[in-house]
Amino acid sequence: MTSTILDQLRGVASDLFNIPASQITAESSPQTIDAWDSTQHLNFVLALEEKFGLQLSPEEMEQMHNVGEAAKVIENKLQGSR
Amino acid sequence: MPILIQPYREEHESAVRDFNHRLQSGGADPDLVFFTFARPRFLPYSEGANLYQEYFVALENGVVRGGYALKRQNFFFCDGVVRNVGYYHHPLSEGIVNKAYASVGALLLKDAMNRSPLLYCLGMGGYDRPLPTMLIRLGWAHFAVPFYFNVVHPNVFFRELQALRTSTFRRGLLNLAAWSGTGWAGVKTIQGLRKLRAPKPGSFTSQRVEDFSDWADPLWEQARKEYAMTAVRDGQTLRTLYPGGDTHFTRLRVARGGRDIGWAVVGERRKDEKYGAMRVGSIVDCWAAPDNALPVVQAASAALVDQGVDLIVSNQSHPLWARALEHGGFLNAASNFIFAAGKNLTALLQPFSENQSRLHFTRADGDGLPRNF
Repeated sequence: MTSTILDQLRGVASDLFNIPASQITAESSPQTIDAWDSTQHLNFVLALEEKFGLQLSPEEMEQMHNVGEAAKVIENKLQGSR
Repeated sequence: MPILIQPYREEHESAVRDFNHRLQSGGADPDLVFFTFARPRFLPYSEGANLYQEYFVALENGVVRGGYALKRQNFFFCDGVVRNVGYYHHPLSEGIVNKAYASVGALLLKDAMNRSPLLYCLGMGGYDRPLPTMLIRLGWAHFAVPFYFNVVHPNVFFRELQALRTSTFRRGLLNLAAWSGTGWAGVKTIQGLRKLRAPKPGSFTSQRVEDFSDWADPLWEQARKEYAMTAVRDGQTLRTLYPGGDTHFTRLRVARGGRDIGWAVVGERRKDEKYGAMRVGSIVDCWAAPDNALPVVQAASAALVDQGVDLIVSNQSHPLWARALEHGGFLNAASNFIFAAGKNLTALLQPFSENQSRLHFTRADGDGLPRNF
């Protein structure tokens, strides 16, 4: 995984969950971030779609159990679209 | 096991029955059941149609964990373009009885957003419900579509309206209002005063028609530009929504001086415990240039009074229709009929704060058609 994508996701998560990016790691998840519930998860996915200009399916959304996994899904999606 | 969202097919019907059983066993509201049959009875898909309904189910290894309905319909927008828009309704998630499936509601909505980028919700039962709460957190634009009612028989209204009869004291007071005649006098005075302040609509005629035919098309063409967004209501669409053989609805053609000025669809609602034994009529749908809304409202009300209803209800988003209801003697009350537009749809309606008052949404665009009739 490129660190750039992970860094960008940390930025998105930071804005959305109102937490400093420095506190967000690849392991950050709904279990470690109080504000990350199912609705915010959808908000997170919608924000990623807008940032990366792609559309994610509900199945891909479900694979995003933490920030690192979300970055992997985005990376795979971007590679697939090239 | 991942959850997959797929079109609801006949082979899923038994799994849907199991899903409904789990919801009911888990203490969900009795109304919260998903559609028993995969093929919609109202507006099933047909080749080439742009007005139809589809159902989808969330499957986990063959077990249904949720589902939703999506109605597709063409809408006319203020930029003159007709676009197909999705109406997201009846979402149900196992999350309401089992927290392990709390994410299903968001997955269902995401699936609908992917299938129909222009998406809206309407109805939903009030702002305190989970769906509008979620939509607001997602940044959807929203407002409550004003609710109006006209009490035809005040004594029955005071005796039967269960929403008001919530305590022994209130029941006593309402019984007194009903039996003493004070309730009748009060309601008739307020409604009468509203009518007195109304402009005179001039003479008009109202004719019951068996079906909508080509006469509805010029009305659609003439009035559509008055609205920032409205479901297409040409003759062909109206014949699909209110087919000639459907006796649940009365179709009214309203004219002045021999020239069509509008139409209305009215019907008596099914019994609902919140209305007790009252017969409740609804102005389901209506169309006219906003300037001609009053005669259409008056024609619709008169038709329902003729049918013997005790109460008439209507939800209208456009202020000129709302004003026509007030001029027709209707009173307004808090509305639980919420309109919410997804971000892509909202982007077409900018500035939303101005354009929201030019949207034309009625009960017919919401979740009550046809199940409430």
